[in-house]
Amino acid sequence: MALLSLENVSVAYENQLILKDFNLQVEKGELISLLGPSGCGKTTTLRLIAGFLEAKQGAFLFQDKDYTRVPVNKRNFGFVFQSYALFPHLSVFDNVAFGLRLRKVKEADIVKRVGQMLEVVNLSGFEKRFPKELSGGQRQRVAIARALVIEPDLLLFDEPLSNLDANLRVNMRVEIRRIQQELGITTVYVSHDQEECFSISDKVAIMNKGVIEQLGSPAAIFKYPKTEFVARFIGFTNFLNGSERQERDGQVELKVAGHSFLIASQAGNEGRTGKKCAIRPDDLQVEAGHGSTGEPNRLNGIVKISTYLGRSYQYVVETALGNFTVNQEMDTPYQNGQQVSLVFPREKLVLVD
Amino acid sequence: MKKRYVYMLLLPGMLFLLLFMIVPILLTIGSTFFQQGSFTLAGYLHFLTDSYFLKILWTTLRVSLVTTLVCILIGFPAAYYLSKLGPRKKGILLALAIFPLLTSSVVRSFSWMVILGKKGLINTLLVAIGLTDEPLDILYTPTAMMIGLVHLFLPLIIITLVGVMENIDPDLLKAAESLGASRFTAFRKVILPLSVPGLIIGSILVFVGSLTAYTTPALLGGKQRVISTFLYQNAMTLNDWYYASVVATIMIAITFIVIGVMNKLAMKLNPKG
Ligand SMILES: Nc1ncnc2c1ncn2[C@@H]1O[C@H](COP(=O)(O)OP(=O)(O)O)[C@@H](O)[C@H]1O
Ligand SMILES: [Mg+2]
Repeated sequence: MALLSLENVSVAYENQLILKDFNLQVEKGELISLLGPSGCGKTTTLRLIAGFLEAKQGAFLFQDKDYTRVPVNKRNFGFVFQSYALFPHLSVFDNVAFGLRLRKVKEADIVKRVGQMLEVVNLSGFEKRFPKELSGGQRQRVAIARALVIEPDLLLFDEPLSNLDANLRVNMRVEIRRIQQELGITTVYVSHDQEECFSISDKVAIMNKGVIEQLGSPAAIFKYPKTEFVARFIGFTNFLNGSERQERDGQVELKVAGHSFLIASQAGNEGRTGKKCAIRPDDLQVEAGHGSTGEPNRLNGIVKISTYLGRSYQYVVETALGNFTVNQEMDTPYQNGQQVSLVFPREKLVLVD
Repeated sequence: MKKRYVYMLLLPGMLFLLLFMIVPILLTIGSTFFQQGSFTLAGYLHFLTDSYFLKILWTTLRVSLVTTLVCILIGFPAAYYLSKLGPRKKGILLALAIFPLLTSSVVRSFSWMVILGKKGLINTLLVAIGLTDEPLDILYTPTAMMIGLVHLFLPLIIITLVGVMENIDPDLLKAAESLGASRFTAFRKVILPLSVPGLIIGSILVFVGSLTAYTTPALLGGKQRVISTFLYQNAMTLNDWYYASVVATIMIAITFIVIGVMNKLAMKLNPKG
């Protein structure tokens, strides 16, 4: 049985349904992240778990107990806010000690535990500072320490890194993952940054309009996005809409307006019955000159736009099936208007719904 | 425009204040220390040993203090409620709250006279339902002054508190709750301390306003004197400008002491606010 389970939950703001029949399971000790575009309901889901919001329907189970009506302050969940929400009138020490004081921990123990926690987040010596006197990264770490020191049963992060600059973001996400694994604390992490989520999560749930479109390990999602939405979100830009589909010799053949595309069947691809497939710009190949028509997995076209990306060139190629984007490393680039042919490797094409 | 020149825009206002406020005040204060050309503290000794004046001083301070406390008690929850509303509702309700400030204090005080008098609304009601046999003395007492002053100054404390409370991040309450605080504890440990600056400024406005108000205590206080009405009596009825100046100086001194004490208090309660 999962540690946390949302079962057919619906949440609405003023009659507008944000989450509908929402389901999510989280296992003990894992870090699961909710990833999706702005407005898809990530924060809403997190606030529901935290208890700031009430579900219209459905149940929230935690450790096999019904938590649906348990008030926020009885849940013992740590919450790290996007804006950190540090108490501006309290010092770093008092901010971190806040939860312990409410639990009537002895002052000597408070000093010890706050000290230890500030060590974990590398902020020893900052006890007397006030939030105003800290940098963004330091505030973030105080917020994490404050949420962790109460030894929460669950840790919730709402876009904790979005207010930091790029370098710090990378450092902090490594920190968060380190602390989470060191303490073995079950964590739900929300972000709209794909790289961030994929780099720190055991599992990722890709959300769209209040629904989880795909849940899986970062590698599984990265290689085999299940739907067109997920594929687009993680960087697939090229899609082929087939009209016919056949399975033979351990591969799938799609017919797209008379062109034939073969797709290798692989474990991650299993059970996909759609007639649509996708490929990343990096996986598509482009060759000079037109190839023979009728050859499977090949399309002729002309270069419309060429962009220098540093390591590679990016081309938009116009074909009979529409425009495709391809990235290729090369020394002398193709010219606009040049005839080229695109090659779609069998094992790089992914069936999506 | 260069930054330097922007300050020039302040010049007309500053000149006006200097000529018609600062200079007269300084002259008034200065004049209290001289009689027939020689330095003296006689005026101050006269008042500070006069039991009639000390009683007036005490009434004034008491009325101002109670008015301030009542304004805080009523204004704080009201301001918190207003700060949580959407912009439309808040706009309408704030406009209503400010309304007493926009009406003439004479009109406002006369309506209180109608309500509080021997044959007024309250006494008629009390007698009718048999709570008292005789009408109560409410009008022309310090209580009547306080009622009038609370009515007048409540908007000030509400506006300042709403301003401060609006800027408190609502996530702070959520953070406190997630750390184990009940709604009430979260309010007490977060909203309350963060509202201190507004509370202090609002209290100064109400207290100093009550201390110096004239119309309301004059109309609702009857023979009960406060410093401002006593000052008027000295200057206009008794035509004693020297004593009037001394009283004015004492009033100014009290005002500054109050502001100083409140600021100290603010620093202590909210060191990094
Ligand atoms: N307090 C609110 N009142 C009304 N609608 C809201 C409120 N908060 C969020 N929404 C709406 O709910 C949807 C989901 O919001 P949210 O969960 O914050 O998305 P995300 O965190 O994924 O960006 C959005 O369409 C947003 O406009
Ligand atoms: Mg959000």
